[in-house]
Amino acid sequence: MTINKPSADTSHLYDGKTVRSSAPSRKKAAGQVGTGSAIPEDAIPTVEIPGFIESLLGGPLVPKMKFLPPDKMVQNLQIAVYGVLVGLAFLTYIISPPQGTMWYILTGSLGLANIMQLTIIAAATVLGFMGTFRRDARLSLGSNLLFILAILRFASSKTSLALDVDIGPTMLSVLVVVYAVLLIMYFELSNGVIRYSMLDTSIRTNEVYVMNPKKIVGKYHRSLVTNPILATLLAWFVLSANTILPAFVSIFSEDTGQRMRESVELTSVYGVALGTLFVFITVGILFGLNLPTHLQRFRERQAD
Amino acid sequence: MWSRKSAMLGSLAVAMYLLGLTLRNTQLVTIAVVIFVFLTWAALLGNHADVASSGRRADEWSGEEGIALGNVVAMRKLSSARMFEDGELNVTLRMQNTSSLPKILEVRDRVPEVMRIKEGANYILMELGPRRETFIEYTVECPLRGFYSLGPVAVRIQDAFGLFHKEKELHVYNDFLVFPKMEDLKETFVKSRVPKIFTGAVNIRQPGPGSEFYSLREYFEGDSFRAINWSAYARSGKLMVNERERDAVSDVIIIVDSRAVAETGPVSRNALVYSTRAAASLAKYFLGRRDSVGVIVYGDEVVSVDRDTGKKQLYVILTKLAGAVARGNIPLQVVVNRILPHINKGSPIIFLSNLEDDPTIVNALRDFRARDFDVTVLSPSSLEFEFDAKRIDRTGYEVMKTERDVLIGELRGLGVNIMDWEPDMLLSTALAGARGF
Repeated sequence: MTINKPSADTSHLYDGKTVRSSAPSRKKAAGQVGTGSAIPEDAIPTVEIPGFIESLLGGPLVPKMKFLPPDKMVQNLQIAVYGVLVGLAFLTYIISPPQGTMWYILTGSLGLANIMQLTIIAAATVLGFMGTFRRDARLSLGSNLLFILAILRFASSKTSLALDVDIGPTMLSVLVVVYAVLLIMYFELSNGVIRYSMLDTSIRTNEVYVMNPKKIVGKYHRSLVTNPILATLLAWFVLSANTILPAFVSIFSEDTGQRMRESVELTSVYGVALGTLFVFITVGILFGLNLPTHLQRFRERQAD
Repeated sequence: MWSRKSAMLGSLAVAMYLLGLTLRNTQLVTIAVVIFVFLTWAALLGNHADVASSGRRADEWSGEEGIALGNVVAMRKLSSARMFEDGELNVTLRMQNTSSLPKILEVRDRVPEVMRIKEGANYILMELGPRRETFIEYTVECPLRGFYSLGPVAVRIQDAFGLFHKEKELHVYNDFLVFPKMEDLKETFVKSRVPKIFTGAVNIRQPGPGSEFYSLREYFEGDSFRAINWSAYARSGKLMVNERERDAVSDVIIIVDSRAVAETGPVSRNALVYSTRAAASLAKYFLGRRDSVGVIVYGDEVVSVDRDTGKKQLYVILTKLAGAVARGNIPLQVVVNRILPHINKGSPIIFLSNLEDDPTIVNALRDFRARDFDVTVLSPSSLEFEFDAKRIDRTGYEVMKTERDVLIGELRGLGVNIMDWEPDMLLSTALAGARGF
């Protein structure tokens, strides 16, 4: 078939100029494009969506994970994480002796179980350091999981220590509570490093504008102090159920109170569970009564 | 609302608690208790985060945060309600905290997706003191024509650890209009051959009393001696007189194809974008020449702007062009049948279309030509846009280009002034090409 190309010659418009049948970019593209009908990747706009791990760790303010160098706030958080990490590693080893670990059950050797337990704690610590230093959420998450793995023990109800030191039950409870609070603070601080890196990067790339950053950061710093204290107090209260409950019952019946004090169940992990149950039923009732709203109203009135 | 982080911590705490009881492991139970405490405390604080709107459409809202109703208020002010493409819009967002408690707010003012933030930010993290207000300013660049709306303002409050948050949309909206940008045209080469009954200052292609030279002719009795061209007389030996173009107001009809197919190609580079810009530029030029300009935009319906003159008419046309949406598939023949009885014979008609997916185009333009209308077709090529964006392969491009060339040739054969408008070509160049210059 012969196609008579219509005379669309407008070359005189380009007198003195280089005349091309099409734009250079198009010519170049024509030579490069294959014959497939699939949409080339570069024709699809890039959408940055936070990954599962990013959103798991608090959800980014802006889904940008390529951080700029850390600012002072992030550096301070990193230092705090390193400090907490050292303490946590030490405490984890102390309160999770190799006896009762799954490695001990599997191998039957205390030496191997000890090596395995130490390896896990060391790996968790190293991953934690690397995750915090590189600000990589995946490494931090791995470290968190390893710390949890280290504490999984088929132990008896009584808490025992890896070190051969004799400390009283109160001190032991304090140690466990401090350990638990340190672990949660480590979770939060390592997460804070990522969150504030995102925020800092977003601020510096003009995606987010922060007014009164000192006050906003100040609130976070205050929370980092108040929350662990509060958590320690409440956890201590829960763990002391085996002494508080008999004391309370003793008011009505001295004998029953005494029996409760001597009860093996109440001094075991089930006593802790009972205490937890009582505390959180109380909290649930308070929430059910809409306490936060009443509290808010009270605060508003007070401020007025 | 629970964040994913809090949900994960909550699940972890429950799992540890149950596992602790099963394994009789006090440490696990203790960790679970500490996590529960963290979550409880954050939830308790998070519930303070009550916000409410007092925006224009606040009545629609009925939230559960009754006690703090109206304690966060948003208002917005725009630097202009109308602008041209690539123009900048300054937005001032005023946030007020009418409560007596300070609040840490995350505010995001929703901006249409096609807009770009040029200066400032529409996403702000702020501490708003009790009974304080603050102004947030940012500038957006508006690259594409259309009717747009800014808003709503999304406000979020969360606890320090990002465990729980509350979100609210403040229904504050501001509408604005982005007109297609215009190219300055010096000459369009489009002139009417038919005078209108009232005079004006526009040349139509007929000799008559006017100011611009049209042609030379021999002297007839009654011609003014002042019109004699003495140089021509000296050259030819015959008395020759200058004829001048007749001044008159002419009608110009611009037809814009806004069918769904007109938007083929990238968002910022497609036939509809080019057509609306060209229509706006042409309208401005002709109205500046004191012509009457009418515009017809067709897609899923035929929208017409009656012929008129003046600045007000330009505003009406620009508004219609700004609102042109690629929809529907009305054939050109329907449009032609509808408008033919209403336009003056011989008026210049400028048709802006990618000439795709309409089998009636040839017949419709033939109808115009048969009635002696001066038809100019500027055809932004969707093929080029698609090929530039690498959405079609070379073989497909070549085949379709050939088909297009055949169609253009056929239309040219009807006496239509047509130009295959390539993406990089200026409007004035395309017009000159269409008119054979």
